[in-house]
Amino acid sequence: MDKRKQETNLEEIYAKYGPVVRFRVRKSIGASNPDWEDIANEIITNVIEKIKKKEFRGESSIGTFIYTITSRRIIDYIRQKTKVLKHAPEPTPFPDPHEHVENKERAELITGAIKKLKPKYREVLYLYYYKGLSREEVAEKLCITPHRVSERVNYSQKLLKKLIKK
Amino acid sequence: MKMCKCEHLIDDYLFDRLDDEKKNKFEEHYFNCHYCFEKMVERDELISIIKQKGDGIFQDEYVVEEGKGAPWFEKIASFFTPKQWALISVYAALLLIVTCVFIPYFKSAPPQFFISEDRVRGESITLISPVIDIKMVPSKFEWKDSGEDVEYKIYIYDNGDKLWASTTKDNFIVLPEKVRKQMTLGEKYSWEVKAFSPEGTLIAISSKVHFKITEGE
Repeated sequence: MDKRKQETNLEEIYAKYGPVVRFRVRKSIGASNPDWEDIANEIITNVIEKIKKKEFRGESSIGTFIYTITSRRIIDYIRQKTKVLKHAPEPTPFPDPHEHVENKERAELITGAIKKLKPKYREVLYLYYYKGLSREEVAEKLCITPHRVSERVNYSQKLLKKLIKK
Repeated sequence: MKMCKCEHLIDDYLFDRLDDEKKNKFEEHYFNCHYCFEKMVERDELISIIKQKGDGIFQDEYVVEEGKGAPWFEKIASFFTPKQWALISVYAALLLIVTCVFIPYFKSAPPQFFISEDRVRGESITLISPVIDIKMVPSKFEWKDSGEDVEYKIYIYDNGDKLWASTTKDNFIVLPEKVRKQMTLGEKYSWEVKAFSPEGTLIAISSKVHFKITEGE
């Protein structure tokens, strides 16, 4: 009974934290780095094993426990690579569009939704996400407050979600 | 799902704008906060697509040109939130109603002025000429009409002493020759007009205006 319960928990942990670990690894070593998927899978396997061996004693949250294992593995990987290459791996510009946009149809859907947005929302997305300006810089350009920039960014994302769902 | 106080760090994290300490803290945070992680994945996807597609998706219809702000009406509109605009509209409507209701009452109250100890309620009379120093003895005195069936009484004073007085129903009076001859160069004179109703009630009065004859005829 306990074994079955543990298995259920492990499945839940895998489902919940697998994407988080993958995201963290991809962000740290670069999405164009072919090793990222192997590293992420290795970390998840390691986490499951440690939990099975009862190495997680509940002193911290399970999230922090997995975060620590992930961070250590990433640091090890970078050190290892540094030794081999004699220099740190080139940081990949983030986010890498080719690796990130796996679903072309979804990308088209989002693009279409962006085009349907009102100009005031598109201009904020353009300056904030495409140009990469800070909230304050966008606010200055549009003669609005930084708080209003955040509001527009958040609202435009809600609108995009709505448009995509249609 | 409840919002998170760390949500504002998502974009800065994705754009590598956080220092190492904040970055590590936020990374630990999103391992524990599903809300922030989901939001971050959504934004990451959006940024990826925007970066991949380029500014073409914005240029089709509208993109803010470099150095140019939003149109003036958007700048004004964005000055307040929709809720604030609604509140302002309500206040403006109330102000308009109050103005429309009360102004007629204020307007209908005629001005008050005092003659000796009597208070008179009525319009004041505006004098037209002469009202400043003049180069010759005036032949005609003129003021603004106060309406029909009004009798005007004009008073001319020489250094405070009454020189001449007369009545008329017109809004002007021609000075008789004998009075003109009494007026001399360099002297100061003053004049005023009072208006009376057909019943003989004083209904309006002008202020006393002084003038000086600087040269002879």
